[in-house]
This record gives sequence, C-alpha cells and structure tokens, in this order.
Amino acid sequence: MSLLSVEGVTLRFGGLTAVEAVSFTVEAGSITAVIGPNGAGKTSLFNVVTGLYPPSAGQVRLDGRGLIAQADLASWLRWAVVGVATGLGCTVAVNLPDWWDAAINAFAGREPFPWGEAAAALGARLAPTAWNLVPLIAGFAVGLAGAWQAWQRSRCSSERCFRAGIARTFQNIRLFRGMTCSDNLMIALAGAGRLRGAGPLGALLRTPRFRRVEASARAEAGRLLTLVGLAAVADGAAGSLPYGHQRRLEIARALAGCPRLLLLDEPAAGMNESESAALMQLIRRIRDEGTTVLLIEHDMSVVMGISDRVVVLEYGRKIAEGTPAEVRRDPRVIAAYLGDTPAEPA
Amino acid sequence: MTRPSRAQVAWGVALAVVVALPLLDQALPARAALTERVAPILLFAILGLGLTVVSGFTGLLNLGAAAFMALGAYAFSILTCPIYPFQVGFWPGLVAATVVGAGAGALVGLPAMRLRGDYLAIVTLGLGEIVQDVLKNLDVITKGTQGINPVAAPSFGPLILPAAGRHYLLLALVLAAVWVCVALRRSSIGRAWEAVREDELAARCMGVATARAKLGAFALGAALCGLGGGLYASLSNSSLDPGTYDFGRSVIILSIVIVGGLGSIGGALLGAVIMVGFDTILIDELAKATSGETGSERVWAQPGNWKFLVYGLALVLMMRFRPDGLLPAHAPGAAR
Amino acid sequence: MDWTDLIAQCLVTGVANGLIIALIALGYTMVYGIVELINFAHGDVLMLGGFLVLTLISACGGEQASPWVVLPIALVAVPAFCAGLNWSIDRLAYRPLRHAPKLTALVSAIGVSFILLNLGLFWGGLDLAVFDDGRSASAKKSVPDLLPFSNLLGDDASVLITLKDVLVAAVTLPMLAALTWLVQRTSLGRAMRAVAQDPVAARLMGIDTDAVIGRTFLIGGALAGVASVVYALYNGAIDFQLGYRAGMDAFTAAVLGGIGSLPGAVVGGLLIGLVRAAMETLVPNGSQWSGTVVFAVLIVVLVFRPTGLLGSPLREKV
Repeated sequence: MSLLSVEGVTLRFGGLTAVEAVSFTVEAGSITAVIGPNGAGKTSLFNVVTGLYPPSAGQVRLDGRGLIAQADLASWLRWAVVGVATGLGCTVAVNLPDWWDAAINAFAGREPFPWGEAAAALGARLAPTAWNLVPLIAGFAVGLAGAWQAWQRSRCSSERCFRAGIARTFQNIRLFRGMTCSDNLMIALAGAGRLRGAGPLGALLRTPRFRRVEASARAEAGRLLTLVGLAAVADGAAGSLPYGHQRRLEIARALAGCPRLLLLDEPAAGMNESESAALMQLIRRIRDEGTTVLLIEHDMSVVMGISDRVVVLEYGRKIAEGTPAEVRRDPRVIAAYLGDTPAEPA
Repeated sequence: MTRPSRAQVAWGVALAVVVALPLLDQALPARAALTERVAPILLFAILGLGLTVVSGFTGLLNLGAAAFMALGAYAFSILTCPIYPFQVGFWPGLVAATVVGAGAGALVGLPAMRLRGDYLAIVTLGLGEIVQDVLKNLDVITKGTQGINPVAAPSFGPLILPAAGRHYLLLALVLAAVWVCVALRRSSIGRAWEAVREDELAARCMGVATARAKLGAFALGAALCGLGGGLYASLSNSSLDPGTYDFGRSVIILSIVIVGGLGSIGGALLGAVIMVGFDTILIDELAKATSGETGSERVWAQPGNWKFLVYGLALVLMMRFRPDGLLPAHAPGAAR
Repeated sequence: MDWTDLIAQCLVTGVANGLIIALIALGYTMVYGIVELINFAHGDVLMLGGFLVLTLISACGGEQASPWVVLPIALVAVPAFCAGLNWSIDRLAYRPLRHAPKLTALVSAIGVSFILLNLGLFWGGLDLAVFDDGRSASAKKSVPDLLPFSNLLGDDASVLITLKDVLVAAVTLPMLAALTWLVQRTSLGRAMRAVAQDPVAARLMGIDTDAVIGRTFLIGGALAGVASVVYALYNGAIDFQLGYRAGMDAFTAAVLGGIGSLPGAVVGGLLIGLVRAAMETLVPNGSQWSGTVVFAVLIVVLVFRPTGLLGSPLREKV
C-alpha cells in the first residue's frame, strides 16, 4: 500500500477550480516532485493534503486511512451533551429572575435559611410549562446544530494531519519570527506529543517531571538544529536569520514531529547553485532517515536531480506522471512549459 | 549579560519598597495613607496581568475586560452578602469569583475562535456591554444600580484584616499572579499562545491545538480579572453599581498594558503604577491642591475631569511613539 | 392604540432613526473600506457636532431661534466643522500608523475617542443658557424644539408624523443620493474605490493615496456633521456620551449591511433603526434590553457572517 494516496481530489473556491480530479500515489521512502507552471494548483494541492482545506470532491489517504474525520456514535453523544447543556442554560437564563424570587428572595431574612422550603418552591417551578419547555427545546436545537457545525468546520484539520505524520513548509516562509529558533522547534515537538507530562500544572509547580520532559525536548530541538547546521543560533530570533537559514529552520521545524511525510513548498526558491546542492543533500539525508518527501519545485536541476517520480500539473489537472526522464520527454509537459499556443497573460 | 541582573535588582528594590510600605505609612502623617492609596495599584496590576495573558501573550485584543471584573465582583457579592443565604465567607467567595471569571472567559472564547483581530475586539466590547446591561436589568438578583452590600471583608477565618494585612494580602496575590504568568509563559502552553499570536495558520500546521490555546488564554485572563473583581468588591464592601464596570473601565485596564508594554509582565506592573497611580494619587493631590480656589466650579477646573483626556492621550502617544510600551517584552524567551 | 397603529408608528420612528444611523454608518463603512480601520472616534465627532448645533442655536437666540435661520447655518457650519475634525484626526493620529499593525491603529482610535469625549464634557460646561449655565457638564442637554410639534396627519390621527420626521427624510435622502453620485460618477469616487481595492496598485497608477484617504475622512466627517444636526433636532437631547452609543449602533449597522459596502450601510441602518423602534414600542420592557439586542445582532453577524448581508467573502492566501 502506498504511503499517500490522492484520489480524484478537486478543490473549488466559489467559481474558481484550483485543482481538478488529481490522482496519484506516493510510495514510502521515495522523493516525489510536483511541478507545473504558476497557477497550476500545486500549493492548493498541498493545502488539501495537509488538511487546510477539505477537498470539494475526492479524498486523500495516508496509509489507507482518510484524513477527514468521520462522525460516529461518540460524536453524536458529544453533540447531544452540548445540546442539553445549551438547552438547560437557556432555560435557566430565561427563568432565573423568577426562580430566584421564588426560592431565595421569598425567604430572605429567615434565620436559619429554610433550604428545604426553598428547594420545594424551586421544584414547583420546574414543571413542564411553556416558559420551561420552549427555551429547553430551542436551546437544545441550537446547541446541537452549533456543535455539529463546529465539528463540520474542523473535520479536516491541519493539527490532526500533523499529528498523523504530515508536516510541511510554506512557499512564503511562515516562521514564528519573534520566537527563538529553538522555541520554533519546541512548538512542533509539542504538536507531535513530545512534551506530554509537561502540561500547565507541571509548569506551575515546576515538578521534576516537567523539567525532565522540557529538557529532553530541548535536547531534541538542539539535535535537529545541528542537523540543518543552525546550532549556533539556537537562541537567536528566527526573524533575524538570513533568508537561506530561515528556509533551513522551517525544514527543521517540520521535521521536529518525526513526520512520515514531509511536504516542501519551493524549498530551493532564491537559492544559488551551491545552496541548491546542499539542499539536495539535505533532502536525501531526510529520505534516508525514513521520511518520505513530496516537494513542489521550479528549479529543474533540483527536481531532476533527486526525484524518484514527478507529477506534472497544469490548470489544476494532472497532465503527466512518471520518472524524471519520462516526464522530461513528454510532449504535453513541454507544451505546458514552453507553450505551442500563445502564452496566457501573466 | 548585565541587563537582566540590573533589571532584577530594580525589581528587587521595588518589591522591598512595597513590602515596607505599611511601616513607612506609620512614620508619615495620617493624611498620607500610603497603604490605602497603593491598594488600587496592586488590584489593577492583577487585572493588567489578566489582560496581558489574553491580549499580550496570545494577541487577542480584549476590549471587555471590565465585564469579567464585574462578574467576579457580583459572584463574590452574591455569595457573601448577608441578604442572601449563601454567605460562604471571604476565601470561598474569592475562589468562586475566579472560577466564574474562568467560565465566562471560556464562553467568550468560543466565538473568539474564528474571529480576526479587530472583529474580535468589537465582539468582546459588545459582550462587555451585554454583561453590564444584564447585571443592571436582573435587579431581582443583582439589586440593579444599587449594588449588593455589605460583602465579606478580607479575612482569615474570623480575623478581619486591618489595612496592613490587606496590603500584604494584595501583594501576595499579585506575586501569585505574576508567578502563574511567568511559569506558564515558559512552558508549552505559553509557547502555543505566542505561536497563535505570531502566525495562527502555521501554528495549526505544526500541530498546535489553537482553539484550545485561545480558550485557555481567555479562561486564564478572565479568571485573573474575576479575581480582581472579587477583591475590588471586598475592598469596597459592595459589588458597586454595574455602571462602574463599563467600557471606560476596560480602556483603563487596556491602557495599563499598552503603556507598560503589551505582552510584558513587568510592563503590566509598571503600567498599573503609572496609570492607576496617576488616577488615585496624582489626581487626588491635585484636587486637594486646587480645591482652595473659589468661584471655579467649571468642569475643567477639577483635575478629575481630565481623566479621559489623559488616558486617551496616553494611548494615542504610546501608539505613535512607543508602540512596544515602556518596558517592552524583550525578544526571544526573556521573562521580564 | 391598536396593533396596526403601533406598528405604523414603529415604522415611522424606525425609518427616521434608521436614516440617521445610516448616515453615521456610511462614515464608518467608507473609512473601513479604504483603510481597514474602525474609526472609533467617528461617533464622538458626531457628538461634538451636536454640541456645535446647540451652541449655534444659542447664538441664534436659543428658544426663540427660527428654524429657517438655524437650519441653513447649521447644515453648512456643522458638516464643515466635523469634516475638518475628522480629517485632522486622520492626519495626526492615523496617517503615521498607516503601515503599523491594525490593532495599533485601533487602540489609537480608542484613544482619540476618549480625548474627544473629554472635550465634549468640557464643552457642556460652558457658561451658556443652553448648557444650563455650565452647572452640570455631564448631564444631558435638551435641544430647544425649533420645529412646530404638530401631527401632520391631523390631531386625531393615531399615528404621529411631525415636521421632524419630514426633516430627517428631507436631509438624509438627498445626502445619500449625493454620496452615490460622488462615489459612482466622479474621479474622486473612482480613486476611492481603487484605493479601497488595492492601495499599492492605486499608487502605481499615480493616485495620491494619502490625499484620497484624507478626502474620504473629510466626506465621512461631513456626513457625521449632517447626521448630528438631524440627530440633535430629532431627538431633542445630547450629552457627551452619545457618541459611544450612537457610534455602536451605527457600527453595528455598517457590519450588518456588510462593512465596506455603501448600500449595505443604508440597509443596515434602517434595520437597526427598526429593531430599536420595535424593541421600544412593541416589546414590554423592551427599552431596557434594546441595547443588548443591538449588540447581540453585532456579535451574531460577526461570528456567523462577518461579511454582512451585502458583502462578499474574503479568503486568506496561504
């Protein structure tokens, strides 16, 4: 079974179709490149694979399992609980002045306070009258609908994809600029569950366990920084690094979660030849350590140099797939890049 | 690096002064009443720290902080006033105020999850107004604009605390709040908050449970504001009229963290000293100094009526010239 | 009064108030559309305009002033004053923050609002008869009833329409038409729309964005000025805190209609005006809760449909 399986994925934004019926697979331990002219839908495809947008059609599977959460009995129970809580809340809110008056103000000043009588007075008000039933039912409906809606919007979530083992970098670097390089990695480590046991309570009490877990995570962050050659600036602000170092830091951050699949969005952008060569070495090393790589790239020397397979997109559709050599010779690919029809406006 | 240790020395000195304050008070003439005047500063420091967690660490501008303060004050008052049968006492009342604040913060945090910066600010403002209206209109419970009084005074068991005792109580609570903020900021929840502030989308892609982080920030910030509200009610011996917890009050708390430095714990403390010190001490002194002049009943002759102008000017000038505040949160990882 | 009369009255009051709110909302939405800033101080500009109206009435004879003298003067002087004030606020407080994060500008706007609030408080303390000889600066000031208070439908009619209602329509509707003409047909309007869509591209096309933004504030201020004249005469009372209340109503209207959309502001204004009128006349205990309802509308719109009724959805580019 392939590690990643993209099956008929379509993504539409209102009237614009960014990706249309794209299907391909990625085998574990390989390096696959997605190429195509600008606007071909490559980053949109990445956004679907990493859970930022649910596909309008089709699906994505990691290890045979879909990325989109399915509703089960537990979910329905959860929504029902939210509905009941909202219903009760609405009923209380609507009736509170009345109940307060009957149960508390009516017996005010009596020493000792007659709790029993107050409870009885309150109990008398809890009869199924219109004032009680309408907010209860309406609140239940609103709560249920709201919980369902919230779940709908979060079915496809990038947090869950990350925890399932899919990590990415971005076309325009999105580091946490004000935080240190080490802290940037600690975020991803926490996301991957490496900081279990170092929660808020431990933090407040500074328990030995908290200190241990934090220290070990820091050490791991240090190891990753060394891997990408940034150990010296571990405590420097991420935003103050030069461009090339920022790209490397972003890759380190994505690796922090020990992902099964690493998506790199134009990692060689803005790099010269020697930097690209170093990057290719880094990507090979990442692959050798067990992470499958999927990358978007425009630099053909990088693509042809390290990819095992290449997928070509144009106007949101897949137009070719195969080894680098095959793709390079494919007439449709050549036409897409060089154009035998008049070039479309920029 | 010598900078942190110089800052630490400065904070140490400040702490020593605050601790020694009641003793200083004994030495000065009665009208100085230093301990009473410093109490609002300590109280608003707690409120400022609450807002720092939400708006400073997590970057969610909250314009309704006074609402959480109000809820804490009313929860405390309802539970400790003799007109109601609960009368749980000072400490359980404070705990209740904090818990009610936290709950309200979580509720507010729910719509906050999907909202962008300025829209969120407006929603918090709206919620603040709604809370104020509700407290005023539910007069069966809240006694409307009269407020609920008397309420429990700060005490340990049957022993009611004198002025000096209250001072140390407030100081202890401020230090506890500072510890909570410092400790959490240097942990994964604090880093998650900062990631949400820096780039929420990237945070989500790195596995941060951003919704939970935002809810947590709101809950903690509101809990601190609720605690402040409960203390405020206790020190005023009344829940006070809901109108005291209006948008103006929220802006005062906001100006504390803005002047001090958004996201900086030390900044919140300094901001409280400056803004509240200005309000309670400076205005008071000016009013006493100018009340001697006869014939000037003009509204602009009373220093107290210049408050809005000064707060407004402080915000405008800070944003123009020192948007990071007087004690900016240092870059990467520094605590103070 | 039976139900149909109540509803008819509600409609009259609602539309009149709604038109005033629409005028104020237009100022908010124009500024937001062009600089993405919620000009918190807009409501307070309205409030100061109201104080100027009252001062002008005082100068023209107070209670004895003739509406035919006051109205023309007010409709020229007050919009000019408010326009200049709004422009200065942009120039001094917002322009230096054009490239700062949004929240910085929002906080600055709150600061300006508070400064103006305090100025209103002081203005109300002036030694003039209309201001109660400066005795209670913070109290509400009543605006002398300049227009004859007679029911245009006849003294026996159960629905009340007075000259005041006519005044509101007579002033606001032409203003709305003039604004539409300005935005759709003039080069300034075109420039405003260009800057609102893409400031960088506009500047590359040779548009002086700062000047266009300044003129937008000028127009927004003028609208607030006109609204303040109508508000003062229609509602009969002003106080230094009216800016906050009217401002929140108007901002809610702008958001409800779709922030950045001019027709949206008008639709939103009318809706909010009608909601307020309905709360106050049709619902028992309604006036206590009308503020809450307006804020609840605001929150619901922002959470569930932030682009409002007539706006269009935006997406963040990854």
